[in-house]
Amino acid sequence: MSRRQLLTMVGLSAGSTAMYQAMHSLGFAAETNFTRPIQLSTAPKGASVLVLGAGIAGLVAAYELRNAGYRVQVLEYNGRAGGRNWTLRGGDRYTELGGDSQECRFDPGHYINPGPWRLPYHHRGMLSYCKRLGVALEPFVQINHNAYLHSRKAFGGKPQRLRTVKADYHGHVAELLAKATRSDSLDADVTAEERAKLLDSLRFWGALDRNFRYVKGETSNGRRGYERDPGGGLSARPQLSEPVGLSDLLNSGLWAALPFGEMYDFQTTMFQPVGGMGRVGQAFASELAPLIRYNAKVVHIHQDEQGVHATYEDTVGGAGRQTVQADWCVCTIPLSILGQIPMNVGGPMAAAIAAVPYSTGVKVGLQFKRRFWEEDEQIYGGVTYTDLPIGQISYPSSGFFSDGKGVLLGAYIWDMLNSMEFTSMTAAERVAKAVEYGSNIHPQYREEFDNGIAVAWHRAPFAMGCFGLWTEATRAQHYDNLCGFDGRIVLAGEHASYLPAWQEGAVTSALDAIDRLHRRALAAGPVA
Amino acid sequence: MNTRRLYLAAAGGLGAGVVFWLALAAIALVDTPARAGSTGILDAAILSTTDGRQIFEQICQGCHMPNGQGAVGAGHFPALANNRTLASRQHVAVTILMGRRNMPAFGAKHAIGFGAPPTTLTEDQIAAVINYVRTNFGNRYADSITAAEVAALDQSLH
Repeated sequence: MSRRQLLTMVGLSAGSTAMYQAMHSLGFAAETNFTRPIQLSTAPKGASVLVLGAGIAGLVAAYELRNAGYRVQVLEYNGRAGGRNWTLRGGDRYTELGGDSQECRFDPGHYINPGPWRLPYHHRGMLSYCKRLGVALEPFVQINHNAYLHSRKAFGGKPQRLRTVKADYHGHVAELLAKATRSDSLDADVTAEERAKLLDSLRFWGALDRNFRYVKGETSNGRRGYERDPGGGLSARPQLSEPVGLSDLLNSGLWAALPFGEMYDFQTTMFQPVGGMGRVGQAFASELAPLIRYNAKVVHIHQDEQGVHATYEDTVGGAGRQTVQADWCVCTIPLSILGQIPMNVGGPMAAAIAAVPYSTGVKVGLQFKRRFWEEDEQIYGGVTYTDLPIGQISYPSSGFFSDGKGVLLGAYIWDMLNSMEFTSMTAAERVAKAVEYGSNIHPQYREEFDNGIAVAWHRAPFAMGCFGLWTEATRAQHYDNLCGFDGRIVLAGEHASYLPAWQEGAVTSALDAIDRLHRRALAAGPVA
Repeated sequence: MNTRRLYLAAAGGLGAGVVFWLALAAIALVDTPARAGSTGILDAAILSTTDGRQIFEQICQGCHMPNGQGAVGAGHFPALANNRTLASRQHVAVTILMGRRNMPAFGAKHAIGFGAPPTTLTEDQIAAVINYVRTNFGNRYADSITAAEVAALDQSLH
């Protein structure tokens, strides 16, 4: 039975929900359920909503509910909107838990996004809000064939260009498969007619020669690049490069990084807001300015038959504790923090809130005196992957060929052990370590380093973790209880989605929550 | 969504390194000594030290802060200095083994990986860090915990 037949059968016998779930487990369904902007009908007269948290989920909820006519108030811990949607630029000061305070000293126009930094083309909710709010987008270079794959244990620690690893891997695999095909090993799987087509495709896909071999030659060099590129005039003649042998390639482990650009979440075209991801939060904030109360630390949430009351502390103004009230509450506070705030919800939601630990994550932005990765190595955007604790180096996707300084992402660590160890360091130590490790890949680091800034997400006072870590078991036991209404309270955020860590999870969970809230409010009718 | 798929999705939110890491780890396997010049365990794929202080300073203090002072932001990380729940060594052991709310579990049975294998601590390491924490930062508990006791507690957990 083909997968299509299986899905059709499931759909017929068990309805579309079961089919959707089956598709999910087979990896078929779309990763976002956003198709078009939500259209809420007019809010019941006098109805009000309290939104806790001005991250992407809270901002989306507040924006749509306000547009529908609800009276909306937003409480936000930080002095800015956006939450983990955030950009650090020159002049910004960031103080982490424990008091370590850094000033970003990047030149004008340069930045890093400590949190989310790229938008897949299929995250239609985020893209839609960028368009509606006038946030300009530009391409984010995810895949760069001239960036590196690096392992300390392969090729003497010398970084390899993605293009050579990819060409050689495909070439050798194609050659092996062609050999099997021609020796009739696959007769049970392909017809004689298909066999010819398969061989044709392998030759083209793998850049094989006429004898189905992957060897040094014009064909392979057309994929992996030349030792010396072809030119014009007397210096025209190209010098061919030699493919790496199959055994060296397999033992290098570098092939493991090849599928990244093929993954749905990282396929071309990806986007980024011009000037930093934080532009999205800023755009929402100017739209909703009068509704957001900043520097408000929520310390107590209480609901009764009349409504929801949230008590907050004014963390800068010294106004002490205040309580605000509304008919409904959309709570987007990360579970890492919400679990510590007294809130009278039932056992199932309380258990769900307590069931989700948070992943670690660390990013380090480094400014250099010049864009040596472009000038010396012809790397324009994209990502170098390494087995060093820094994990990745990502080159800026804008400002190509510009003079002056340049900022790259010098570490992006989510591997738990390395991430915990980096979190345990001082900010200055994290920057120093990122420079030390990165210089194994780019020796220019030592000469050209200017300054850096580091963010460890467990030390972020407003998040206390990077994103919610679900397992299959905790999803089965708690996910629906986390997302379902408890009285007048509903939760939203990436933690209430199947898109962990992605902003699209925050958007779609907020839209799902306010759609249900709106139905309840309509059923309850006008508020006196 | 199976666990593997979840890892990939989770890794997707931040960056892709899942398979890469696993492949390199598989090839390197046990051959991962700490780098020369490294301050300690940094740069090892697995945590090899059984020194309680080193484990605290490179893992625990990320949240509990140097000297176990804890921290307060929108929420708080509990201080381990002057924390009366430390009176029960078993309580501390169960917390480390199973996690508690946003604190991740470090016992192999409960730890959640994120693309890469989860960070786990052995019974020896858990005992060592508990004994370190309970005799430092102003804590002066006379009793100590053994790896065997941690293992027995782990056995009793589901």
